[in-house]
Amino acid sequence: MAESSAPRTLADQFRAWSDDELARLLSARPDLSAPAPQDSTQLASRASTRASVLRAVDQLDVLSLAVLDAVVALGGRCSLADLRAHLHADPDAVGRAVDALHALALVWGSRDDLRSVSVVADVVGTTVSGLGPGAEQLLTAYGPARVAGLARDLGLEVTGDRHSDIEAITRHLTDREAVEALVAELDERARAILDHLERDGVPGTVESAERTVTRASAESPVDQLLARGLVITRDRTHVVVPREVGICLRGGLTTRRRVDEPPALATSGRDPSLVDRAAAGAAFDLVRHVDLLLDHWGSHPPSALRTGGLGVRDLRATAELLHVDERAAALHVEVAAAAGLLAVGETEEHDAAWLPTDTFDVWSSGTTAERWATLATAWLESPRLMGLVGTRDESRRTVNALVADLERGWVAETRRTALRALAELPPGEVLAAATGVPSLVDRVRWLVPRRPPQRAEAVAWTTEEAALLGVVALGGLSTHGRVLLEGADPRRVAASALAPLLPEPVDHILIQADLTAVAPGPLEHDLAHKLAMMADIESRGGATVYRFTGTSVRRAFDSGWSSAEVHGFLAASSRTPVPQPLVYLVDDVARRFGTVRVGAASSFLRSDDESALAELCHSPRATGLRLRQIAPTVVVSDVPVDVLLPRLRELGLAPVVEAPDGTVRLARKDSHRARRPRQRPGVAELDAARLTARVAATVGAVRAGDRAVASRPTAGTTGVAGGTPTATLAALREAVEARSTVWISYVDNHGSSVERVVDPVRVEAGWLAAFDHRADDVRSFAVHRITRVAPAS
Amino acid sequence: MNDGPLIVQSDKTLLLEIDHARAQDCRKAIAPFAELERSPEHVHTYRLTPLGLWNARAAGHDAEQVIDTLLAYSRYSVPHALLVDIAETMARYGRLRLEKHPSHGLVLVSTDRPVLEEVLRAKKVKPMLGERVDEATVAVHPSERGNLKQALLKLGWPAEDFAGYVDGEAHAIDLSEDGWQLRSYQHDAAESFWHGGSGVVVLPCGAGKTIVGAAAMAHAEATTLILVTNTVSARQWKEELLRRTSLTEDEIGEYSGTKKEIRPVTIATYQVMTTRRKGVYAHLELFDAKDWGLVIYDEVHLLPAPIFRMTADLQARRRLGLTATLVREDGREGDVFSLIGPKRYDAPWKDIESQGWIAPADCVEVRVTLPEGQRFAYATAEPDERYRMASCTHVKTEVVEQLVTKHKGEPTLVIGQYIDQLDEIAERLGAPVIKGETKVAERERLFNAFRAGEIDLLVVSKVANFSIDLPSAAVAIQVSGSFGSRQEEAQRLGRLLRPKKDGRSARFYAIVARDTVDADFAQHRQRFLAEQGYAYRIMDADDLAAEA
Repeated sequence: MAESSAPRTLADQFRAWSDDELARLLSARPDLSAPAPQDSTQLASRASTRASVLRAVDQLDVLSLAVLDAVVALGGRCSLADLRAHLHADPDAVGRAVDALHALALVWGSRDDLRSVSVVADVVGTTVSGLGPGAEQLLTAYGPARVAGLARDLGLEVTGDRHSDIEAITRHLTDREAVEALVAELDERARAILDHLERDGVPGTVESAERTVTRASAESPVDQLLARGLVITRDRTHVVVPREVGICLRGGLTTRRRVDEPPALATSGRDPSLVDRAAAGAAFDLVRHVDLLLDHWGSHPPSALRTGGLGVRDLRATAELLHVDERAAALHVEVAAAAGLLAVGETEEHDAAWLPTDTFDVWSSGTTAERWATLATAWLESPRLMGLVGTRDESRRTVNALVADLERGWVAETRRTALRALAELPPGEVLAAATGVPSLVDRVRWLVPRRPPQRAEAVAWTTEEAALLGVVALGGLSTHGRVLLEGADPRRVAASALAPLLPEPVDHILIQADLTAVAPGPLEHDLAHKLAMMADIESRGGATVYRFTGTSVRRAFDSGWSSAEVHGFLAASSRTPVPQPLVYLVDDVARRFGTVRVGAASSFLRSDDESALAELCHSPRATGLRLRQIAPTVVVSDVPVDVLLPRLRELGLAPVVEAPDGTVRLARKDSHRARRPRQRPGVAELDAARLTARVAATVGAVRAGDRAVASRPTAGTTGVAGGTPTATLAALREAVEARSTVWISYVDNHGSSVERVVDPVRVEAGWLAAFDHRADDVRSFAVHRITRVAPAS
Repeated sequence: MNDGPLIVQSDKTLLLEIDHARAQDCRKAIAPFAELERSPEHVHTYRLTPLGLWNARAAGHDAEQVIDTLLAYSRYSVPHALLVDIAETMARYGRLRLEKHPSHGLVLVSTDRPVLEEVLRAKKVKPMLGERVDEATVAVHPSERGNLKQALLKLGWPAEDFAGYVDGEAHAIDLSEDGWQLRSYQHDAAESFWHGGSGVVVLPCGAGKTIVGAAAMAHAEATTLILVTNTVSARQWKEELLRRTSLTEDEIGEYSGTKKEIRPVTIATYQVMTTRRKGVYAHLELFDAKDWGLVIYDEVHLLPAPIFRMTADLQARRRLGLTATLVREDGREGDVFSLIGPKRYDAPWKDIESQGWIAPADCVEVRVTLPEGQRFAYATAEPDERYRMASCTHVKTEVVEQLVTKHKGEPTLVIGQYIDQLDEIAERLGAPVIKGETKVAERERLFNAFRAGEIDLLVVSKVANFSIDLPSAAVAIQVSGSFGSRQEEAQRLGRLLRPKKDGRSARFYAIVARDTVDADFAQHRQRFLAEQGYAYRIMDADDLAAEA
């Protein structure tokens, strides 16, 4: 802070600042540089806007806010020494806080003359200390006589000038000794009221505060207080303790409690290596779960909701698949999406669905530690408030996973703040089992006490999520979690910190007589892949249990394994001898595998004369028929029967066609016939028809017109509806219900009034659909154009 | 990474690698709370179930211990969700307690108000409860003690029963240990039952469950009602009790289809208890005929549903369940837990075998191939005919003959499902056959002759599945079974497991027709035994012929 010359304005101060100081300001308050300000004046004015100050203030801890509060309480202008004297905090801490606020340009000026940016009084005010308004401000509401009376009561010399009297009163109330003397005169009840008003910082309600009382005549507790200026009337029915008195009552400090002590975390001891191991276990599970889930969704994608989220039922299925609760399932899904492994895509049926992305394939090929680091980084930086999933929103609807509106600007920062608080714990200390998380919430609340209110919940969720991710375990930050939080290139470094903690991949399995195989650890990729081909997975976790069944072994045969290969693979990968039942199972399947063979053919040839068939197959002239002999007496062909038959005849054979039931279908000579073309009606006939129609239409129209005229309501007709649209609508609806015919009068497109007789069919969206007798068809009429409706006669 | 023998999976299974140096310690540590599901040769599978965890709570273990054990032996880290789940599940047991209240009689007490409110609001529970005594206490209709426990278990808040038991009518019963001794595990089983009050003792077939029952009776020294599966088994209980205890012939009554004796110790069959006349259980009064101090249920896994209902009214009496397996084909394990009581003792088969109390067994599956003609008939048969067809193929009869010849001189049982087949085999072998229609007297005569060694070959139907003590049987040949019943296979093998005088291992042959439903069912049946560590050896009928 510049000690020498006091700047006149904030802009002056910016001009005097070094480039470094400015750069620090701009990086701490990024909103100031977008767009780049033209000069210091503009920067200063921007830095004093309400929006920008609000943003900066929201990031402050309780101490800094208390400093701002004190600056405001001291009239918006004070020295560092004043602040140190008035804040209930270590003077050095106050100094540091002032420096920080200065660097943020929330206060400016020199140490001897600090000022807060004016809008701070508005934005922060005295919310931290809960002090009332200043006496000077309050007394402006008093008339000269009342001011003079109060001054006299306080034993001050009355000048008669209202302004200087107010000043004198204010000065008097700032004097601790004088105020203590005044308080000493109060009776017990009055003191209790004063204590209450001062402690809670709320205005007190009285029946009528507009009364003149003197120190001598005051009897009721409120009167005693009013007469001594210990409370001052704020308006007709409220009294408040003036700020000066409040400070005096608090022993010259703005707050009763210390403001420089962040709440301590409730901790207990825990072996750091145990924390690391537990966290590594969670990390391993996370990667395995995400891998399993996305692999599953690759083949069975859940559909994406229209809002972009994931349905509740799919989430429940996910929880079942992963053996976790729904909250944890939601976290897995969210983290996968945050890491870009999951996105909305199209299924083969062109439905929107959640599908693994191509990044997933890249991710899958990494080591477990690398994969974990990708997920953990994505989680740490995600602006999404994942804990909201499964809760109910304002309109009592369940919040789905992956919906768009979970993003909150402050979430990522809060996550880091919470984890950093954990990182500050010495190794070997972790959050206590029950009280730890609430204490962490309190601490974060001290660090960033202002908006938003959801932050407390977000902190609790962060610890929950971090435990599932393996960043935190047993209430303590793991080594790899710490690296993730602090290191440069966290992804790589965290991965290498985690790697040694993860189980080594194993290269063998244990096969047992009950046809199960146990992989006592994560299997090497290739082995796992091959084993999954011939056995079903029964249980997953640190180890994997496989079960061999006839179906699963056949799957291996289906994908091209031979019985010898299967035996060889099992013998090579099992650390124990392959049990006899499994050998038998494989042999059993091998024996049955392929006993029935299936192929495609368009036609078959059957003959008891094996040599004739053999001869045919080898005949050079039959090559075009693509004949294949599949049994001594059966030959199949890709050529359809109707082509095959004449060609065989050409080759000198005399085939007969067999029906599906094995009987011989007799060949008859085909003779072709054409279809009789449809006859178009003759010209004369057509004209006649048209004429008839036209005439009929005209007649219909005329008749309808007549009817309309006849139906036109006269003065005496009852049941005429018109004038108001409601009445028109009601009449029309009634007609629809009654299926009756009505006469309507309406204004057509050209503005002329027309009459029609119609049978209303339905009324909706402001349109009447009705059978128009004139048009002899269903027509639509705009209801607002219908002027009158009457029952047709 | 920890080099432990245990791998904890997120689906609540525990894999124990038994070749590991610490495997034995680990097994002992996890046995109280994890159910052994499979114990094949290399990796045993345990499962954490709510019932198992509650059993552990009932035995005085807490969640902290369980979690510490898992963490201590686990090779990899334990899934966090699982630990949370264990703690939550275990905390549910005992939040509600059934107690005796000096003025209100039986009451349901909870220290946890919300839990009490939750169960009070449950529709099923409400009618069983009386007036509210105070905030934490509700009166319970004494007759609903069992039903309430059942209902609360279904709600996931199992109640601990501290309401105590009636002593019953005293009756002196002592073990007469002359020439024999209570085995250590039998002693432990009886002790832990007695301290637990009520509950189930799980011991393999042939491990002497009857003696555990006798020891429990000696503890109770009160009149006892014993419920067994059938008459023959009832007689065996009687003989065993006469031999092992101070009870005399006059003190033990049989309550069955033929006899209706009610004596200080009464043995009744499930069948007679569940007989209904005009829709009413005719023999219900037996439960009230005496002031029983102890009720013993033999073969709890077969307990029929009506007996459960009757047991619900017997909650003030001590109850002992005896069984070889808690696996119930009908999945009513929860009813056993709430009505009979938690598991009080459990010892795996292989352990008792290695202590020499049951004979080791060699299980062989002999595969026969249906002859061509039968294969065609099989292929075109109706699905519901197929099993019978495959089971009863005459090829099996030939194999039985070969096997019987091979084991000539050794006491052999041929066991089957279909009477025609058994008759045919019996005729070919010239051996007596015991089936459902055989008179009880005749049955006993044959069994006794077999026990005495007068005959060494018996053909039996499923009547001999349970509780028939044939200690000398060394070879069993199973030609057909009741479809895929796992416990039947276990019971049949159990016939062989009584220790042999010469320490020989028993042989169990299952003859199975290849490539038919018979083979599928056989595989299902054998699964239980394979999971218990009895690996089946597979053999071809042709090889057998070559061997012989």
